[in-house]
Amino acid sequence: MTPSTVAVQTAERLTAAAGLNATLDWSPELLATEATAAEAIGAGALHGMALAVKDNIVTAEQPTTCASKILEGYQSPFTATAVNRLRAAGGMVACKANLDEFAMGSSTEHSAYGRVLHPMNPDLVPGGSSGGSAALVAAGVVPAALGSETGGSVRQPASFCGIVGVKPSYGLVSRWGLVAFGSSLDCISVFGDTVARSARVLEAISGHDPQDATTFEREPLAPFVPRTDLKGLRVGLPKEYFPDDLDPAIRAGCNRTIALLRELGAELVEVSLPHTAYAVPTYYVLNPAEAAANLARFDGVRYGARRVGLAGDLRALYQATRGQGFGPEVRRRILVGTYVLSAGYYDAYYARAQQVRRHLALDFQNAFAAGVDLLFTPTTPSTAFAAGANTGDPVAMYLADVFVCAVSLAGLPALSIPIGRDQGLPIGGQLIAPFMQDGAMLAAADVMERHLDATGEVR
Amino acid sequence: MKISKQDVLHVARLAELAVDDAELETLTGQLDRIVEYVAQLEALPSEQTATSFHPGPAAVRLRADVVAPVPLARPPEAFAPAMRDGLFVVPRLGAQEDA
Amino acid sequence: MTTTWETVVGLEVHVQLATASKMFCGCSTTFGEAPNTNVCPVCLGLPGALPVPNEQAIRLATRAALALECTVHETSVFARKNYFYPDLPKGYQISQFDQPLATGGVLRCESPDRGPLAVGITRLHVEEDAGKSLHDRFPGLTAVDLNRAGVPLAEIVSEPDLRSPAEARAYLTAIRQLLVFAGISDCSMEKGSLRVDANLSVRPMGQTTLGTRTEVKNMNSFANVERALEAERARQIALIEGGGRVQQVSLLFNAATGEVRPMRSKEDSHDYRYFPDPDLPPLIVTQAWIEGERSALPELPDAMRARLASQYGLSAYDAGVLSGEVAIARYFEAVVAAGAEAKASANWIMGEALTDWNVLERFPVNPGIMAGLIALVANGTVSHQAGRKVYTELSARGGDPLAVAQHLGLVQVRDESALETWVDEVLAACPAEVGRFKGGEAKLMGFLTGQVMRRSGGKADPKGIQVVLVRKLS
Repeated sequence: MTPSTVAVQTAERLTAAAGLNATLDWSPELLATEATAAEAIGAGALHGMALAVKDNIVTAEQPTTCASKILEGYQSPFTATAVNRLRAAGGMVACKANLDEFAMGSSTEHSAYGRVLHPMNPDLVPGGSSGGSAALVAAGVVPAALGSETGGSVRQPASFCGIVGVKPSYGLVSRWGLVAFGSSLDCISVFGDTVARSARVLEAISGHDPQDATTFEREPLAPFVPRTDLKGLRVGLPKEYFPDDLDPAIRAGCNRTIALLRELGAELVEVSLPHTAYAVPTYYVLNPAEAAANLARFDGVRYGARRVGLAGDLRALYQATRGQGFGPEVRRRILVGTYVLSAGYYDAYYARAQQVRRHLALDFQNAFAAGVDLLFTPTTPSTAFAAGANTGDPVAMYLADVFVCAVSLAGLPALSIPIGRDQGLPIGGQLIAPFMQDGAMLAAADVMERHLDATGEVR
Repeated sequence: MKISKQDVLHVARLAELAVDDAELETLTGQLDRIVEYVAQLEALPSEQTATSFHPGPAAVRLRADVVAPVPLARPPEAFAPAMRDGLFVVPRLGAQEDA
Repeated sequence: MTTTWETVVGLEVHVQLATASKMFCGCSTTFGEAPNTNVCPVCLGLPGALPVPNEQAIRLATRAALALECTVHETSVFARKNYFYPDLPKGYQISQFDQPLATGGVLRCESPDRGPLAVGITRLHVEEDAGKSLHDRFPGLTAVDLNRAGVPLAEIVSEPDLRSPAEARAYLTAIRQLLVFAGISDCSMEKGSLRVDANLSVRPMGQTTLGTRTEVKNMNSFANVERALEAERARQIALIEGGGRVQQVSLLFNAATGEVRPMRSKEDSHDYRYFPDPDLPPLIVTQAWIEGERSALPELPDAMRARLASQYGLSAYDAGVLSGEVAIARYFEAVVAAGAEAKASANWIMGEALTDWNVLERFPVNPGIMAGLIALVANGTVSHQAGRKVYTELSARGGDPLAVAQHLGLVQVRDESALETWVDEVLAACPAEVGRFKGGEAKLMGFLTGQVMRRSGGKADPKGIQVVLVRKLS
């Protein structure tokens, strides 16, 4: 199929899927322009592939809103490195995808443009914050999409939606053009219908970028070497990720996958990551602290929607622009982040969390140093939950990240693949690899994918 | 209670966020819940201190001193909420606040 | 009994590092462009933009730190300083906080009251500048130009070691000289490439604890720093002697009135919530690199002053003047290298050439020509007085010194018969003075010599005149 044909068919599917509320800006005309450019490039690893792009990744051709009213009408004058690289590989931007405002959330309910519906059941959430990208892949609208992870925002919706979600090692993919949320955590990440397709997208966008001082000076990720089994691989099962009160369906799904890993020749060993219990509180100190500073630039002075006219007062302009422009979750994080950095509290919260972060990273390093190649865990503590279920209690929502955010704090590569279903809803299993071992992780997931009964009921 | 309404108003001012009276109560409760939750970090044994951790490169890579700005696809006029004679404009600050 | 007050001053100096591009982006640092034209996603603080530090800025800041005898740290950390201001695009300034590039240095300067002074340097760190807020451009509005947003700065903080406004000025003069010598910055207060904030407190003489200090800002020249600090010192002393207490506030100096007035105190403005910038890994420099930068430092003012004094046998004063700027010293050494005697060269440069330098910021008479002129005076071809006229002509129109002297008729006459003619005329015209001289008033020799000189139109060789006079009068 030529890029133009793909573009036309993608536009038809986007129109048909409008009910999911998964897209923000897109148009058949822009898609046609993308197709023309892809045809001019000719060959390429992503030739003719149409991808959804989470709307916190800037593109110069259309608005970038971060699903926030504060960026209403904003059109970036530059394009993210990841998008430039997608296009250079022959890929096309199909649409900008809906998200939790500024990627803050785990359900894609916190969008100024309305919540995203789960493709299998409109009453459920698709997970978040990259819920729009996930829903579009799960619904078969696009084969792959860019999302972003700060603390599980790709793996968790991938798990809820029954698709593959890959978070690369921190610093493998440039953040230039990703609207910063938690700068030491943020990773542009990939959704795909298969491991192999996700890997191709990740390979295309990875590698050093002189515009991002936190990328490593490395070549782009090389295509992984396919394997036929998992012989010789030691897979660790961190006991803290399999608590006694783990949801029985999730446990059943994991047990089935563990059995498969063994059948494929992997050696399974129990390991301990003793600081795991501190991961979520650590994350919810560091992430808001970084977010509070990162979102200070949205002040209505240089761009974005301004709430007070020139006859007003500057402080009123700031406070109204930010107070009305940001939604409730964003404001909560900014306030918490400001609090933990403020005089008198810095040591107790921010400095403390920084130290715990080191322990969390060391936990993983120790496990890998003891001879484990990969870790396997559930991705989420439950399958997709109902819309509105967790919006009343922010902490309950944060706990949806319990199995994903330690990895983000440690900067490690991890992915979620569908490992079965419970009452028709997907369950995700998580693989975690040592730093910069993204390729080995993808190769193992690829084998698993070929043998897993991803759509079968686990009990 | 770890967080009072005064704390919320104080950080809201630092963060330049308007918080109206109607939501102050709810917000104070939510912030208190969050701060109570993250305060469990205090439970970690204090001998377990460590240096901070960032997963990025160990040393920053420096840029050569070359004039090569990333081009703007459109000028500031295209996205600025208010501009006059090429200058961004905002309501005037108190004259004594200029530093 | 009245209390004697001691003044305690510490200075924070911001200098713009002389780079081609900004601290964290590739925009030009050129001064005076149309507003908001030297801008890009990074210095506009656009969503998705990231900072990448400028190597040359780090290099220059390191050299500045080494010139100030600081310890340069192998690891330093960029931190975010959070506050809202319309000319601060990101809502935070990237600076350095608890791990600065350098600490613990010294600046040597000459106190007008206490002689040689070694002022402690607390720290030197690198940061980005904010943009420019224009409050008088449009009525009721603040207009923002971000061309200078992101320009690299070094902030240099002194210990509270200065004891008077005059010492503060001496410190500033010395630090500017040092930084200009080292090629760090052009240090122009006019262009905003050097800015000063001063902290001042007073205490009864003999007290060891510090009084409450205030911060004085908005001074646009070294002279105004001195004036502002004098005004603030007087204000604090009057306040305390009147039974009041000094409040820790920031004050703005008004150069027109010579007064300082408090800025409206910004509530919470001091809670900057510094934390390490997660966009920037630590800045690591190796000891070898630091040593390389140390050896790349040019000769600094103190060393140059000492060398000029010893190498050329100059007085401390002359050496100090000639090492005031690198270009002056370079010119002096070129004139000497072209064959002129050192002390005479120093005198000619300080007497004549520096006048041109102060106006033109260059030396219009090239070193070879200057050496030629000095030789003409030294060998008596022209008088010193005539030599100055030749210099003026060379400076204005150029040419060869001897040719110019001849053209102007300034070459000294030593021909005995010509001298005798002038001497005879003078002796005939001044019989009274001749009588008194012969009566023992030896000092009239000078008068008579001057008369002959005048009659010759300044061309007569003074030594020759004396020889003829002595012969005629004895």
